Amino acid sequence: MLRIERVSHAYGEIVSLRDVTLTLDEGEILCLLGPSGCGKTTLLRIIAGLETEYRGLVALEGADIRPMPAHQRQFGLMFQDFALFPHLSVADNIAYGLKRKGLDRKRIGVRVQSLLERVGLEGLDERDVASLSGGQKQRVALARSLAPNPRLLMLDEPLGSLDAQLRDQLALELRGIIKEAGLSAIYVTHDQREAYAVADRLAVMDEGSVRQHAAPRRVYMRPACAFVARFLGMSNIFATGDSRVANLRGLREDDAWTGAKTFLIHPSGMSLSPADAELAAQVSVILDQAVFRGGYFDATASTAAGASLDFSVKDLPVAVGESFDLWIARDAVMPFVD
Amino acid sequence: MIQRARKLWMVVYLAPLAFLVVFYVYPLLSILDLSIRPAGAFDLSGFVKLLSTDYYIGTLVFTVYQAALSTGVTLLLALPCAFVFARYRFRGKSLLLSLATLPFVLPTVVVALAFAALLGKDGLLNDALAALFTLDYEPIQLERTLAIIIIVHVFYNFAVALRIMTSYLSAVGFSLEEAARCLGADELSLWRDIRMPLIRPALLSAGLLVFIFSFTSFGVILILGGIRFATLEVQIYYQAVNMFNLPLAAALSLVQILSMLALMIIYTSTQKQLRLTLASHHSLTKRARSAGARLALGSCVGLIALLLFAPLLALVARSVLVAGQLDFGNFASLAQKSRGSLLFIAPLASVFNSLRFALMAMMAALILGLIASYLIESRGRLSRLADPLFMLPLATSAVTLGFGFIIALDEPPLNLRASWLIIPISHTLVALPFVIRSVLPSLRAIPSSLREAAQTLGAKPLDILLTIDLPLLGRGLAVGATFAFTVSMGEFGASLFVAQRESVTIPVVIYRLIGDPGFASYRQSMAMSVVLLLVCAGGFVLIERLRVAGVGEF
Repeated sequence: MLRIERVSHAYGEIVSLRDVTLTLDEGEILCLLGPSGCGKTTLLRIIAGLETEYRGLVALEGADIRPMPAHQRQFGLMFQDFALFPHLSVADNIAYGLKRKGLDRKRIGVRVQSLLERVGLEGLDERDVASLSGGQKQRVALARSLAPNPRLLMLDEPLGSLDAQLRDQLALELRGIIKEAGLSAIYVTHDQREAYAVADRLAVMDEGSVRQHAAPRRVYMRPACAFVARFLGMSNIFATGDSRVANLRGLREDDAWTGAKTFLIHPSGMSLSPADAELAAQVSVILDQAVFRGGYFDATASTAAGASLDFSVKDLPVAVGESFDLWIARDAVMPFVD
Repeated sequence: MIQRARKLWMVVYLAPLAFLVVFYVYPLLSILDLSIRPAGAFDLSGFVKLLSTDYYIGTLVFTVYQAALSTGVTLLLALPCAFVFARYRFRGKSLLLSLATLPFVLPTVVVALAFAALLGKDGLLNDALAALFTLDYEPIQLERTLAIIIIVHVFYNFAVALRIMTSYLSAVGFSLEEAARCLGADELSLWRDIRMPLIRPALLSAGLLVFIFSFTSFGVILILGGIRFATLEVQIYYQAVNMFNLPLAAALSLVQILSMLALMIIYTSTQKQLRLTLASHHSLTKRARSAGARLALGSCVGLIALLLFAPLLALVARSVLVAGQLDFGNFASLAQKSRGSLLFIAPLASVFNSLRFALMAMMAALILGLIASYLIESRGRLSRLADPLFMLPLATSAVTLGFGFIIALDEPPLNLRASWLIIPISHTLVALPFVIRSVLPSLRAIPSSLREAAQTLGAKPLDILLTIDLPLLGRGLAVGATFAFTVSMGEFGASLFVAQRESVTIPVVIYRLIGDPGFASYRQSMAMSVVLLLVCAGGFVLIERLRVAGVGEF
């Protein structure tokens, strides 16, 4: 439904977006994931119509919406700091967009009540927004952006100011509410766990460019570049010329390896016994540390050549300091050009 | 569409600038023109006369002398109080500190009369002393002396100095002093090596501000000093109005403008220093427990109370007490024009004038000030220039403004000399900086995300202004409006130039009544002053109640 084509933007000398091309399907939740300063908020503001100086195309259902001012787009935007109107009550905040649409009081009242119910804030209508907790403010902000039935909902780090415990649960709840309302949404976050929980598709961004645009599982299993792998917390990234790991990547040198500067050994592609998959290498290592995560282990081991490997396994019948054999699947070895 | 809206905004933005150019820059340029080209040709003889006549040199010297003396006495009294206030806490401290700033909004004519009522020849104190010791002469002879001028300047500036130094000392804290004490510093070396060096930037800043205020003092000196104590301001007025020597008045005005410019530049640079040296020690105040501390605290509170309330109470007492009896006849007489009076209207009619002009000036200053605040906040090329530009009227003496008005706006296309409109216009100019200083902090406090949120919810630019900005600016606007109203009600220097015959305002009427011979006029002037005092004090209370941190600070 939404198409962004070759959008570029700069704040003075500083380029914040470079030729960004993205699409959003009807009813889909797209997550813009990336470190702070990667341009994801700027992209959101361009889509919302708040940023008007940029190059490229923004089209909604095939129609160019670049000249359309923000207040006519009917896109809901949930702000990072919530931007609740401090001089209005909870109910008046939620009703703000409905009043702009010219709905009559009775219908506004009904809609506000149903939204309060949906976000779990029944009875707080007349409360002063300053008196709300962080989580409550977040819900009011969500209800306010949902109220006018936006064609597209955008959320800018909606859980950013909340603590980690709340986040996991609220992310799922948010997804539920968005899906229930049948909305198409763009969700900006720097937290991969949040992104996995919410997104149908991910767009991983860095320095104003989209590095990878795919489903969450695909992004995790097959990161498109070293940046994405690193950003997702993977550490087995080695230079192609690193002699310590020359024996680990197998012998096959196909097209993907021409021009490769680095390669990743995916942490989920290593095991303590030869699996069915085609193998790249078998290496003897000593266990340095292991953390039980509940259901699986995150472990680190080092090779005789001095390379350190991180891996995740279901079972780890080895103690720290003991040596054992590690089997690396061919699929787990991925060359990158960056 | 966006392009057109932008053009429209530019036109709106230009309104306050145009106002400033026509009613501030143009009159000032006229003064410049008149001072260097008095008869249409380049001629500096006015300046030559100014700088070669002992009398005018004397005026210049006296202006600096009285300002320096006022500054010295004010600082001498305020400095110890600042140390005491920064150190000790007591009930009613913040109320007292805020009450102490009341003089800031009091019109000079009211204050001058209040001190006359207290310390004048027929003042309360002389009456009391004469009655007490059965004297047949007045023991206090302060009328038309330098002393009473200095006392009134202290009254006006004490709180300003106290506030600057107290907040500075509170921010510096006392940990350095305690450290010095542990290292063996005695009371003398504490003052010499620690306290005085620490307070120096604040002392300098406060001193400059007091000097600037005293340098431009007009009403106080005109009423209490007379021509014998003419400062630059008073001299400009005399030369322009009494002598009708406009070129000389223009030359004097130019000297005044340049002096103010220099002083403002120095003041601004000390402000920067003040900010740089502010450390972030958290300060702890304590209760005054020792006898010495109690005595120091008691003296400071007593000094402030005496300075603040004695003259105002004397004024009120003088207006309602006739021969020791409560009598509101003075107020009743305001409805009539006293016989032989120089006034064209009954004093009470000026109340109507003042209210009318104040409301007009308030509305105009609010609208222009609001737009100017947006202009300053727009972060465009104009905005960096706009902020200091709109503060200029604050740094220009009222007499200079009034004088500029009568020489610049007396011929087509802008012949306003005979129109009453010239009064609210001059008041708008004086009130504009107050409105901007009140609105700007509120405007800066509105996060842009609120406007953007409204925009994404379908609000058009006008909707945003009406539903987001204006409600959130409410307080700042109310403070600005009250400031504008109060400033207009009390404005004296410019009004004295531009107010004519039927359109005179309360302060001008009070001044004329003082000049009128006869006891009735004196009583009337007292009663009028009380009316004005009540209006301004009411405005003050409103401002203090409405303002939040940062709003209306200068």
